[in-house]
Amino acid sequence: MESLRQILSPDFLLRNSVYTSVLVGFACPLVGIFLVLRRLVFMGVALPQIASTGIAIAFSVPMWLGLLAPEHAAHSEHLCAFAGSTIFSLGAILAMGLLERRGRGSPEGRLGTAYVVAAALSIIILSKNRYGEVGWLDLMKGEVITIDNFDLGLTGVTLALVVTVLGLFHKEILLVSFDRAMAVTLGKNIVLWDIVLYLLIGLTVSMAVLSVGPLIAFGFLLIPALISQLFARTMRQFAVAASLVGGVLSFAGFWMAYEYNLPVGPADVVLLGIVYLLAFAARKLTPAT
Amino acid sequence: MDTELIRIRDLAIGYGGQAILSGISLTIRRASFAAILGANGSGKTTLLKTLLGLQPPLAGEIKVAPVDHRAAVFGYVPQAIQLDPLYPLTGFDVALMGTYGRVRPGRLVPPSERAFTRDCLRATGADGFEHQRFSQLSGGQKQRVLISRALATRPDILVLDEPTAGVDAAATRGLLEFISQIHVAQSLTVLLVTHDLPLVRQHAQQIIWLHDGKVLHGTVAELFTPGRLAEIFETGLS
Repeated sequence: MESLRQILSPDFLLRNSVYTSVLVGFACPLVGIFLVLRRLVFMGVALPQIASTGIAIAFSVPMWLGLLAPEHAAHSEHLCAFAGSTIFSLGAILAMGLLERRGRGSPEGRLGTAYVVAAALSIIILSKNRYGEVGWLDLMKGEVITIDNFDLGLTGVTLALVVTVLGLFHKEILLVSFDRAMAVTLGKNIVLWDIVLYLLIGLTVSMAVLSVGPLIAFGFLLIPALISQLFARTMRQFAVAASLVGGVLSFAGFWMAYEYNLPVGPADVVLLGIVYLLAFAARKLTPAT
Repeated sequence: MDTELIRIRDLAIGYGGQAILSGISLTIRRASFAAILGANGSGKTTLLKTLLGLQPPLAGEIKVAPVDHRAAVFGYVPQAIQLDPLYPLTGFDVALMGTYGRVRPGRLVPPSERAFTRDCLRATGADGFEHQRFSQLSGGQKQRVLISRALATRPDILVLDEPTAGVDAAATRGLLEFISQIHVAQSLTVLLVTHDLPLVRQHAQQIIWLHDGKVLHGTVAELFTPGRLAEIFETGLS
């Protein structure tokens, strides 16, 4: 309990890491539920990897061009990485959405190829950039320890924007996802609402990957939604429960990592996996209502 | 012209530039009960999707006359099987979607629209399962919820795509009786897609019969004569 007291203390050295983890834990499942409902789970795997490729390029290109000295420009570098992550994840999700609408080829095949190529490309790029390689490897492992106030603020503002837009246009996004034909007959612009949803997913993924790495981003996008789906009877229950599960488990994962000196990202994801297994077993033992 | 609600001229429908049916010209009258009839794969659903604007026509035009100086509203009832059971939605949640066309983006559905949705569920006898999960309802119960949703759009034209698919005989009779009642009570134009000949004979006034790449259009009295039926099916057999 001493470690919990330390984490909750306002003077805790890694408090920004705790806040960031919890923000990501609360926000990611809210867009993750649409990945689950629209059966785009593979996209949830591929997008964080593609976003991290964007970060790898953002880490590398300015240094190759001699535009940025890393020790003097942490905020510029962070913004640059955010731009790389956002451009890559938004570009990828919009391209995949367009191909899905055209209905040709195998979506799983495209996502699998995008995932593996993105991972390979990141390794190639960063193998030529020693400084970037170190930062990227930390990101890959989910080492949420070096988050300053600027990073925290950027994460908070971005995720708040995502949650606000999602809350405001929830009924349009739900209708277009559930019954496209009905949406058209009601005069809804399904392309517009698809783009809004994809932008929200892309923005969340890019911010989460930049803040906590692709491993945690993927874990929190999908697993809280899958846990909540086992018990939710309404969309509101689904969204609220997924967000609460994400937020609470991100804090619990951080606490566990701090207590036992584990890397935060893997600890978070393993904890999510254990809770999912327990929830699944509990659901099986509970009579259907 | 006043009685015409939908006018179709030289319409060609299909996918990827390939026409399934072409040269379709017909009209659907206001407050009529019309049925699109045909075997599986005859193009019924494609015609319906084109009418609803879900896919563009390959050629020709569809004109829908305004109602009370505004665009006519379609109340669409899809096949329940098309809706993904993964969504945790209650019967009420699904029916409430019918009101979304009147609620601006970013606004909450007002209490008056929620009350109207409950009225629609009551009218179809679906109020008993408004709190149950939609995916767990029976075929007939789902259809009642989907008809409630279509009524919640305050439609001028009620469009039903195979509403009796996967529904037992008793529920089918009940559903069609109900649709006939609201057709008469609200002077609602009904467009029903089905392959069920007896149902059409009993309830519909206008028939659009898709058969062997041809479109036959007429009243029940015109098309359902023994001679005409024999002619249609002989053509098909040859």
